[in-house]
Amino acid sequence: MAEMQNSNPTILNAADLPTRLQPTTRKSEYVGIFTSALPLAPVDFESALSSDSEDDNLLEEPIDEQEIYDLISSISDPEHPISLGELAVVSLPDIAIKPTLPDVPDSPLQTVTVLITPTITHCSLATVIGLGVRVRLEQSLPSRFRMDVRIKEGTHSTGDEVNKQLADKERVAAALENGALMGVIAKMMETCH
Amino acid sequence: MSPKVTITHLSDLTPPSQERTWLTAPHPTLPIVATCSSDKTIRVYSLTNFTLLSTITGGHKRSVRTAAWKPNMAGESVLATGSFDATVGIWRRWDSYGQEDGVGLGMNSDDKQIPTDTLTEAPNGTDTDTAGREEDEEEWRFAVLLDGHDSEVKSVSWSASGMLLATCSRDKSIWIWEDLDDGDNNFETVAVMQEHGGDVKCVSWHPSEECLASGSYDDTIRLWREDLDDWGQVACIKGHEGTVWFLDWEGEEAEEKWNGPNSESVSESELSALQTQWRSQRALSGPRLLSCSDDRTVRVWRRLPKESQQTGALSSAATGIPSIIRPTGTDEVWEEDAVLPHAHELPVYAVAWSKRTGLVASTSADGRIAIYEERFVTLEQEQQADSDAMNTTSGDVLQTEWVLVGVQDGAHGIYEINHVAWAKRADRGSGGEEEVLVSTADDGSVKVWTVTR
Repeated sequence: MAEMQNSNPTILNAADLPTRLQPTTRKSEYVGIFTSALPLAPVDFESALSSDSEDDNLLEEPIDEQEIYDLISSISDPEHPISLGELAVVSLPDIAIKPTLPDVPDSPLQTVTVLITPTITHCSLATVIGLGVRVRLEQSLPSRFRMDVRIKEGTHSTGDEVNKQLADKERVAAALENGALMGVIAKMMETCH
Repeated sequence: MSPKVTITHLSDLTPPSQERTWLTAPHPTLPIVATCSSDKTIRVYSLTNFTLLSTITGGHKRSVRTAAWKPNMAGESVLATGSFDATVGIWRRWDSYGQEDGVGLGMNSDDKQIPTDTLTEAPNGTDTDTAGREEDEEEWRFAVLLDGHDSEVKSVSWSASGMLLATCSRDKSIWIWEDLDDGDNNFETVAVMQEHGGDVKCVSWHPSEECLASGSYDDTIRLWREDLDDWGQVACIKGHEGTVWFLDWEGEEAEEKWNGPNSESVSESELSALQTQWRSQRALSGPRLLSCSDDRTVRVWRRLPKESQQTGALSSAATGIPSIIRPTGTDEVWEEDAVLPHAHELPVYAVAWSKRTGLVASTSADGRIAIYEERFVTLEQEQQADSDAMNTTSGDVLQTEWVLVGVQDGAHGIYEINHVAWAKRADRGSGGEEEVLVSTADDGSVKVWTVTR
């Protein structure tokens, strides 16, 4: 890159980034939401032993906002060797998981909404960052998830334009077949595990 | 209260692609379909036994996004394919399809036994001249690659006569090619239209006239006609609030048995009057246009009859101010005829208007297939609806309503559905004029459904 668009970005301390282990309020909220999913009574060992272990493998672990955050916060900024989490381009409160079809209670479809905050309002790399986030999620999450990756309102001069591109399935599919673009995105994801 | 339709899964087309499939194009006369896949191939399946007949490979370097069969062909099938590699491929094959399974196709049979497996792999062994020629006759022959677009080709469409091929792309342009039919696979560029402000997502020709409709990333639908040797825009329809993903035309009355909107709640005498009125209205406006969009809606558009446009021009003349900037003879006014009942929570990727039953099908990223039916609104219903309105001029405008009559949730499990199309039913269980719905999804699966009242 010839010239950096933002040569001095604000960087968060890695220790301050949200993690599963941190005893924050976020965690207690997490437990609250998924209480029903956890075994309340002591585990019934007899039935646990008799149950087919393959059944357990088929059961998909519930995916929460923290897990989405962990997937995308480790992506590197295309300009800096710094993660999107450290740059606060992605943050836990800006991630939401909601049922895609609220009127169909037994539908497995869920929509993951990720709001991206570009480091500067005219950053032309916003589309690349958004695409990186969308590709990372599409490659990591089961197919029942629908991705809704958008620029956070008011944080970018051409946010609507970028959002329309990121939401366009056909454009995203074509981008995935574009070698040069995928090279950039692969480099951003080198820091992902 | 409203009679519903039943959507029943008839079969999958097997074996499926292992990658995303974008669209399945039913052949205009033969019981075969062509499915476009991200694996750069086109699969041709039989609607008689739902199995794979051929895989067309080697033509495209990227995803095959779209395909269309050339109409009015006899003895040979011609398929146009559009790809993310910015090219359009033309493929040809002598018609001998489906004869192998012994089910009549209404085709001339020359009693030649053709093996079921007609994949494009080279024939092994038997290399006598005769065997080689027979093998060739079973194959899809690559005819020509139409090169011109700068980026991904999104949609292709043949005009009713089969003379013209329209193609569109992310490069914002629409190209019209004339098939010179000179035996040498030559195509001539007739026009390049660049008025759209964004990717052109779909093109669709009028069922009989040389009028092209296009839908775009710029949220508009545009109509194009030739006027004095020049192709130009005759209408720009603004109404959708998102990318227009797909278009389809209403069938033309001449070629259908369908008698217009459903009318079970209408008495016999009233019905025939309504149908007469409906036909005359149709004759004036021509077939309507159906569209679907990223804005989650499905809409129907109607062209204002030319005479009412002239009335408008006359009334402005009556003001005494001569209008110099009169619309040219080719300009058309299209207005929204209906917004269909809300059925989708995510972008609506495809719509299909049955030429046989008038039913409309739509599908979406939400994994749903929805079926809609148009119905006459009876006089009493109409009066009830606007009992407070003054001067109900019933008779002037024929009232119909669209009703959501069927929803299939998770039609392809958890996967997004990219396309739906109506096709003539051809399997053993069918009874003649029945129709099936063919849906195409992200996991590579193609499913065939019956829709019964």
